[in-house]
Amino acid sequence: MKNQIFILMMLVASVAKANDRKYYEAVGKHMQVVYTSHSIDELQGATNALDRISAAEKSKWESYYYSAFGYLMMANQEGEAARKDSFLDQALERVRQAAAVSPGNAEISALEGFVHMLRVAIDPASRGQQYSQLSMQAYGRALQQDPNNPRALALMAQMQFGTARFFGSPTTDACGMARKALDQFNAFKSETPIAPRWGKEMTEELLTSCN
Amino acid sequence: MRTLVLLLLASSSAFAQTRISGRVLDEHQKSVPGANVAIKDTYDGASTDADGNFLFITSETGSFRLVVSAVGYQTNERDLVLKGEPVTLEVELKESITELNTVVITAGSFTASDQSRRTIFKSLDIATTAGATADIAGALNTLPGTQKVGERGRLFVRGGDGSETRTFIDGMVVLDAYGPAAPNTPSRGRFLPFMFKGTSFSTGGYSAEYGQALSSALVLDSKDEDVTTRTDIGLLSVGADVAHTQAWKNGSAAAKIQYTNVRPYFGLINQEVDWITPPASLEVSAVLRQRVVDKGLFKAFVNSNQSDFALYLDEIAAPSRKQSLHLNNRYRYGNVSYAQTFRNGWFWRSGFSYNLNKSDNQLESGGMIEREAGLHLKSTVEKSVSDRLEVKAGAEIIDREYSANWVDDQLGQFDQRFREPLWAAFVEADVIASKKWVSRAGARAEYNALNGGTSLDPRFSLAYKVGEGQVSFAYGRFRQSAPNNWLRMNPQLSSERAEHWIVNYQLIRNNRTLRVELYQKHYLDLVKFATPQAVLPVTLEPVVEVLNNTGSGHARGVEFFWRDNETIRNVDYWVSYSFLDTERDYLNYPTAATPAFASRHNFSFVYKHFVSPLKTQFGFTWSFASGRPFHNPNLEGFMQAKTPSYQDLSVNISYLPTPSVIVYFSCTNVLGYDNIFGYQYAVQPDANGVYARRAIRQPAPRFVFLGVFITLSKNKSVNQLPSL
Repeated sequence: MKNQIFILMMLVASVAKANDRKYYEAVGKHMQVVYTSHSIDELQGATNALDRISAAEKSKWESYYYSAFGYLMMANQEGEAARKDSFLDQALERVRQAAAVSPGNAEISALEGFVHMLRVAIDPASRGQQYSQLSMQAYGRALQQDPNNPRALALMAQMQFGTARFFGSPTTDACGMARKALDQFNAFKSETPIAPRWGKEMTEELLTSCN
Repeated sequence: MRTLVLLLLASSSAFAQTRISGRVLDEHQKSVPGANVAIKDTYDGASTDADGNFLFITSETGSFRLVVSAVGYQTNERDLVLKGEPVTLEVELKESITELNTVVITAGSFTASDQSRRTIFKSLDIATTAGATADIAGALNTLPGTQKVGERGRLFVRGGDGSETRTFIDGMVVLDAYGPAAPNTPSRGRFLPFMFKGTSFSTGGYSAEYGQALSSALVLDSKDEDVTTRTDIGLLSVGADVAHTQAWKNGSAAAKIQYTNVRPYFGLINQEVDWITPPASLEVSAVLRQRVVDKGLFKAFVNSNQSDFALYLDEIAAPSRKQSLHLNNRYRYGNVSYAQTFRNGWFWRSGFSYNLNKSDNQLESGGMIEREAGLHLKSTVEKSVSDRLEVKAGAEIIDREYSANWVDDQLGQFDQRFREPLWAAFVEADVIASKKWVSRAGARAEYNALNGGTSLDPRFSLAYKVGEGQVSFAYGRFRQSAPNNWLRMNPQLSSERAEHWIVNYQLIRNNRTLRVELYQKHYLDLVKFATPQAVLPVTLEPVVEVLNNTGSGHARGVEFFWRDNETIRNVDYWVSYSFLDTERDYLNYPTAATPAFASRHNFSFVYKHFVSPLKTQFGFTWSFASGRPFHNPNLEGFMQAKTPSYQDLSVNISYLPTPSVIVYFSCTNVLGYDNIFGYQYAVQPDANGVYARRAIRQPAPRFVFLGVFITLSKNKSVNQLPSL
């Protein structure tokens, strides 16, 4: 009987492992698309596939995360304000679902800040105040959860840089933060094959305006 | 045991493949691209292409659910048996009804909100409209449907008096929404725009939820909890304020103290009013917001204001004979509400508000202490029965008490008072027939314990999408208790009534808005004197038999609004025009006539330009109103004369030197027009049989305001811009 339980456990474990591999492979494939594609149709295909994975897995955050990221990219490609907003609504919904599955995750908090930041761009005059506050708050939360998260540092640096530029005030703080972000990008070690790894180029680009 | 192992192996080694293909269509048989077709609890599925077609192959076998979803549609689920044979499907998706894609009823109402994205007026607009100096009524006066009444400063809507516009905060009534002002000078709203996340200004046809308003409802929604701890300091040319906000995880508290004193300013600039001591006021307010467990929000707001001024009143016939007037006003307002959203779709909100307004007017020849206190209790429930039907119902009690104590050297002492408990209930249903067709029907029942009147007022409105624009229609019956100064003389007076019909067309495209509105309004049961008299009765005795409800009137007009935020970069402008034709036969009017506050044509042009390199926003507002009628006792007839037209050009400049500092400058009437709002005539003719007169003018040609606003917070990108 003991033996049988052992076999059963091994069997379950190997199925679980196989399941993980299947999950990583599936998410990884669509992750590539949301990282690189500039076509709304292609991105929609990837987010749909990621949503199917999320619906089947329920306890994993990455598929929600990349679906949210995909919708962010769709908002980026879209020109019309109302459609941009509706993509961002979709992104935020998935950010929330990811956070529910993985509470206290700095990557998810940073992505939430990114969604709010894109809202500002749609109508800075009337949305600037509300959404820049929400965005800074989310970055702040991300850095509390993980003070060395490169994406939280990079996005916050981006935000600070924009504000400093607008007011013609020194960009020292923003650039300092961007440098720290870059260090963290270089030191960043992925725990899983599908851990977020975007943002480095954006930071390097920001740093060229710093020098 | 062996069977279990076999079963597990079997399921992972079965290679029966099923080809699933088909098409996803909407209710109108149009293809839905980008829809997600999925086999539930598996990774398998596909997205539809531009023609709504999909195709995928799955190696699963057995019974499953097929889930088809797309943004803007209701998710469709069905059973699916996979056994290796190809499956072809046609799936029809129903459009989901959401706030974003459905028509909204717009007849009569302008909504300013940061939450909803389809509004044509934003909260920030109230703060940045030149000439408004951060007064809510001042900004709304640039919208169609309002008449410029410069010597009162209130919202006069579609031939209605200023008292016919009622202010509500979080659904609770505000009895005295305006601060005290010297005779013939404009009063300011008591509540600053930055407190509110949403403003809905309705010029007619509003929801059954709002009673006790004949012409217009100004519905203010206070902000939810603040997310940043901060301190705001304002240094103004007419005073100073300091506010602190403390935020925590699920709530926030804020307190503000403001001292306003125009004395030094009036010392510099000559005023039309003969001041002894110009107005000064001290205001303290506090708010508390707390989120409670599961989707509950508790809000509390208290406001206390103390103000005073003194001036000389002269006699028109003999300006050298002066009499002093000292006014002291005490105002308290408190509002507590709790809102709860339940999982099963119910929403419940209950609130309590308290108003106290006490004015002590002291003249050399006597004085009057006027006091009004009111309690309001209200509870509403809302429920989305389905995405096609929403219902709302509520009940409320407004119990107010009014008293006026007069002392007159010659006439003696008088005390007039009344208490008016008012019970009301309302019910309303929104029927969303489709994304193109929404209607709302409701009714409001009231019982007024003072005059014993019971009433039932129907309200109805609908919106229909036409091309890219939409047409709305609204009808409603409205009532409001007679004004306090008449009710105190005759507490038996019935409520005054109005009936509105409104048709509106609105088109929003690409940051441009076009709006045209037509309306017709009837007034019934207006307060009227039993015998027409040229002047109001001077007696202080209750004059029950002198006042009755036989007055009536009408108003009709057409209004036009155009806003463009797109054509010129960094420029936002709007134009509004209102045509008003109104007459009423009320009070001491011998015949129906256009009242003195109504102007036929009103026009506003508001322009805002943000210049990025200068970090500055420039704005101006140009307003025009045609002449207003007045009664000249030296001529035959009634209300037979007209004032000159009104013009004003106001400018404002906001400069942001650093993220946490704002420098704000504004000036009204830069061109210095000598606007005349009307004339006051002497009570008795002089020796030549002529009634002497005096023009009612602006207190000063211009009002210049300079302020510096500083925000101290850990988050450096926060400033006070939204509160200006």
